[in-house]
Amino acid sequence: MKNILIIIQFTIREALARKAFLFFAGVTLLVLIGTLLFFSLIDFDTLMGMSKSAGENRMVGKSVNSVVVTIIINPLATLGLLFAIFSSASFVPVLLEKGNIDIFLSKPISRTQLLIGKYLGVVLYVFINIFILITGIWLIISVKFGYWDTSFLTLSVMITFAFAVLYALIMFFGVLTKSSVLGMMVAYLIFLILSPVMLLYREKLHEFVSSELIKTLLDGLYFIIPQTAEIMGLALLDLAMGKGIVKLQPVITSFLFLILFLVFSLSLFKRKDF
Amino acid sequence: MIAIETRSLSKVYVSSFGKKKVRALSELNLTINEGTIFGLLGPNGAGKTTLVKLLLEIIFPTFGTAKLLGENVDNYLLKKKIGYLPENHKYPAYLTGGEVLKYFGKLSGLNGSTLDNRIDELLESVKLSKWKKAKVRTYSKGMLQRLGLAQALINDPQIIFLDEPTDGVDPIGRKEIRDILLELKAKSKTIFLNSHLLSEVEMITDRVGILNKGILVREGTVKELTETKEEYKITLLDESVDLGKYSTKNMIISKAYENSFIVKVDDIRTMNLLLDKLRSDSILIKEVMLQKSTLEEMFISLISEVDKSGTE
Repeated sequence: MKNILIIIQFTIREALARKAFLFFAGVTLLVLIGTLLFFSLIDFDTLMGMSKSAGENRMVGKSVNSVVVTIIINPLATLGLLFAIFSSASFVPVLLEKGNIDIFLSKPISRTQLLIGKYLGVVLYVFINIFILITGIWLIISVKFGYWDTSFLTLSVMITFAFAVLYALIMFFGVLTKSSVLGMMVAYLIFLILSPVMLLYREKLHEFVSSELIKTLLDGLYFIIPQTAEIMGLALLDLAMGKGIVKLQPVITSFLFLILFLVFSLSLFKRKDF
Repeated sequence: MIAIETRSLSKVYVSSFGKKKVRALSELNLTINEGTIFGLLGPNGAGKTTLVKLLLEIIFPTFGTAKLLGENVDNYLLKKKIGYLPENHKYPAYLTGGEVLKYFGKLSGLNGSTLDNRIDELLESVKLSKWKKAKVRTYSKGMLQRLGLAQALINDPQIIFLDEPTDGVDPIGRKEIRDILLELKAKSKTIFLNSHLLSEVEMITDRVGILNKGILVREGTVKELTETKEEYKITLLDESVDLGKYSTKNMIISKAYENSFIVKVDDIRTMNLLLDKLRSDSILIKEVMLQKSTLEEMFISLISEVDKSGTE
């Protein structure tokens, strides 16, 4: 465990050195300024005057949260995730570079500890950045509307979870090819195309497919491919509305995907020559 | 006690689609005792780095076994007693020299004031104390090499593997590194040295192994390996004299150039008899020199001999 913590600590240090934190901090600052300006245009008294009781006040707060998720968090989380994938894809290939990995493998640390430490370090780096952003937005809307709902903060956990699922895949390709390109391409393909298409199929096109074979294949594909589109869409909205995780299936199947690719990465890494 | 032991250790690299196989190491049997400096020599691609990587489990053997300090190398905790300086090592450029040592020191199980003191002590011995807080990206090649040596020694290891430790280091730095290695030897540490600099290996190693195309072709002390028949060069005053006629079955004389001859004899007495004979024949001798084979000469002749017999 101690070895894993050391690797996590130095992975965060690596992220700091790469200026990725600085970029995230810059974007966060811009977003928070934008959010402040946006809400300064809304007449708080009129909005709250419409609610006659504490219960109605809560309803208004929840509505504000859902508006914030739809028009700010969703596009921002998508962009943030794209940048997180881009900025973190090379962490594992850099670790595996000749002359670098040799030193790590000559130390009393197991290969499993080394890779798990790297994975958790990268996920933690993304979580810190997303948490700062979400907390900033939460503070602004809470101060503005006087509605303090901490469940809004769980959005940062859900967004990080979506990243962690995709990063398990990136890490697998990183170990396999010692390069970040393929992993990044596959992660983008899943996140931007396959997952949204599968969601569209499941929600709208399912009944239009007549062939049972194709239907079975597409259903299978839907459950195999991590459902990041659902996690980043409806799941975030449910969390912001204080409903918790309403639909567990996308989270569970994506989590299984994450575990599967972590196991693949570890078993490959444990027997690979460097 | 035996520090390093391999039995039939072999490594075959197979290309992605299994079409091409490269035998990097062939059934290597090697035993190195504790407290010795062992030098591994060989041309490029001989399998030197492959052997070190197998001993550290950076790569896995195709077959055969390897033990360090009596334990199988597959136990990663064994590496608490091992130090390694790889060739062309890379350290995180954003860390300072002190931070690099701290990072790898922590991974080696050190912490607190023990680690801090060890870092200061090592930086002092590799003459990098003034550069402790400088980023590694500002270091020269020689400084990186010295930092690498400090990194390899951070856990006070019992066995130290060094792959080209003086690569890029100036002559003074090389001497300092040699002195550090001799100090370590005095502390009964085992040092496994891969180096192209044969003169350096000759200066500090107790035993030498010569690897060619994955096969250990010779092993022994430097003295054993460089020992040849006694060989002298005689230079005469008169160019017209040919010493070839003095050859016997115990003494082979061949012309080197102009008035110089190479005389190979079984012992010094035969050489003295030749000198007596020359003087009695009124041949004037200008110079007599004992010819000594260096490790480099022996290495070159051995490798070309092996390559030649391999192609025949």
